Amino acid sequence: MRLAGRSAETSLPASPPREAGSDDAEGHWSAILANRWALLLVAPLLAVLLGFVAYPLAKLTIDSLSTGDGIGNYEAVLQSSAGRRALITTVLASVLVGAVAVLLGGLLAWHIRIAKSAVVKAVLWLAVLAPFWMGTVVKNYAIVILLSAEGPLDKGLELVGLAPVSLLYTSTAVGIGMVYTMVPYAAFALYGVFLTIDESLLLAARGMGASRARAIVSVLLPLAMPGILASGALVFAISLGFYVTPVLLGGAQTPFMASFIQDYIFTFYDYPIASAASVILLAVALLTLGLTLALVGRGRLRRAVA
Amino acid sequence: MRRALPGDRLTGMASAAAVAATALLLLVPAVLVALLSFSEDRYFDFPPHAWGLHQYRTLLEDPRWGSALWLSVRIAVPVAVLAALVVVPTLLAIHRSRLPFRNALAVGGIAGIVLPISAYAVAMYGLYAQIGLLGTYWGLVLANLTLAVPVMLLVTSAAMSRIPVELELAAMVVGASRVQAWAAITLRLLFPAILAGGVLAFVTSLDEAVLVNFLGGPGLETLPKAILDSVRYGLEPVIAAIATLLMVGTSLAMGLAARLTRLGAR
Repeated sequence: MRLAGRSAETSLPASPPREAGSDDAEGHWSAILANRWALLLVAPLLAVLLGFVAYPLAKLTIDSLSTGDGIGNYEAVLQSSAGRRALITTVLASVLVGAVAVLLGGLLAWHIRIAKSAVVKAVLWLAVLAPFWMGTVVKNYAIVILLSAEGPLDKGLELVGLAPVSLLYTSTAVGIGMVYTMVPYAAFALYGVFLTIDESLLLAARGMGASRARAIVSVLLPLAMPGILASGALVFAISLGFYVTPVLLGGAQTPFMASFIQDYIFTFYDYPIASAASVILLAVALLTLGLTLALVGRGRLRRAVA
Repeated sequence: MRRALPGDRLTGMASAAAVAATALLLLVPAVLVALLSFSEDRYFDFPPHAWGLHQYRTLLEDPRWGSALWLSVRIAVPVAVLAALVVVPTLLAIHRSRLPFRNALAVGGIAGIVLPISAYAVAMYGLYAQIGLLGTYWGLVLANLTLAVPVMLLVTSAAMSRIPVELELAAMVVGASRVQAWAAITLRLLFPAILAGGVLAFVTSLDEAVLVNFLGGPGLETLPKAILDSVRYGLEPVIAAIATLLMVGTSLAMGLAARLTRLGAR
């Protein structure tokens, strides 16, 4: 998480030319480390990545194809109405959450960027940071309270003579919870994107007669588009895996992949089906991230990780 | 230069209103939790019938919450230390070598926090079932480490790229070995960022609620898991008090991390 805004890069004197020589030909004073030492230094990270990310994911994929009914595990997930409903709900909700988070997060980030009053800026930052400070479980707990039958929303509606909406334990509640988590995330990432955009370009567009809306649509959005895409794709991929939110806000009846997977592991003790469902989820996420990587490049995708 | 056009006022007001509404909605839940923590009610109701410190007293009297917090801290401390030990050498290698796959490593290093977590949890469940780490303390430490390493990497690599290599070169020209140059210059300059990363790694681990559900077990009830289970089966008002204390603690920790990051950027 980037907490401070990116500070201006200090300008460095040009680096001395470095010879691109082989490993062992490095001079004694070279700042470039020989590859064999570098390999030793990255060994701990490699061990973590290979042992606890790459290997489990590979094992999961192999297990999903070799245990239970093999390829039939996938059929079981995709052909059961529960599995299909969970997958469709999860993917649609994640697309929606991605779009809303980027829209509202972008709006917040842009207003933080252009705010002239320090107070406005501080309040907007506070709004972006408060959900981070709450942490995953507390955040969802707060929304459970907000939406519950005894909570302020329904009590408030009752007070003004309207029917309560009873949102808790519905897909809408899960959507609200997901948006609440991801808007600040998108705002963070997009603030970084907007910082790289020169405000005077917008002023120039307006000086030449463009309206405020026109300047934003034809100058700001095209410049920010790669960053917007990257952050939308990340929000989508992360949303696919939401666990606490569907469990607390969706309850037992709302179809989301996380609840589906959990039921198959802990209620039906059916690891093969759970692993097939997980592989499907991972495949959707990796495909999206891979496509985004190809579209916007590694640097932008990495910077979008708030 | 800025002439207000007829439509400008309308779009300006609409976008300001949308931002104000979004900001308000983002702030409401935190305020709500903090308010409810001062309710005297035994059962959750809104608005509370009486105000007081009842929830905080309950919190102190019930040993369950203290021991859950203690377990979470006992997991988060080694996670933060291990994350630093894994990431700092990596930074030196990524920024000071020509290792062919160093850029891929910088991106792959953050994989843990962009994958759908519930699918990743199943993968870890499969691994832990195989190597016998299910329901163990060290299993949870290692699982949280995979989420803390990306956070540490993100926080520290920006700082590392601001440290001019010329400083090390200068030290080496006047006789320092590479290790001496790194210890005396690079690591010293990087130190605030490492601390900031450590704080955020600690917070990440303390907040982890998904992996523990799949990989934990009896006797391994971390604070997020205890809160999750409690909220899942009913709305004990004492949760509001824990939540409020957690919010205060986390905001202080994150504020500290932000300050350290800025210190390093100077």
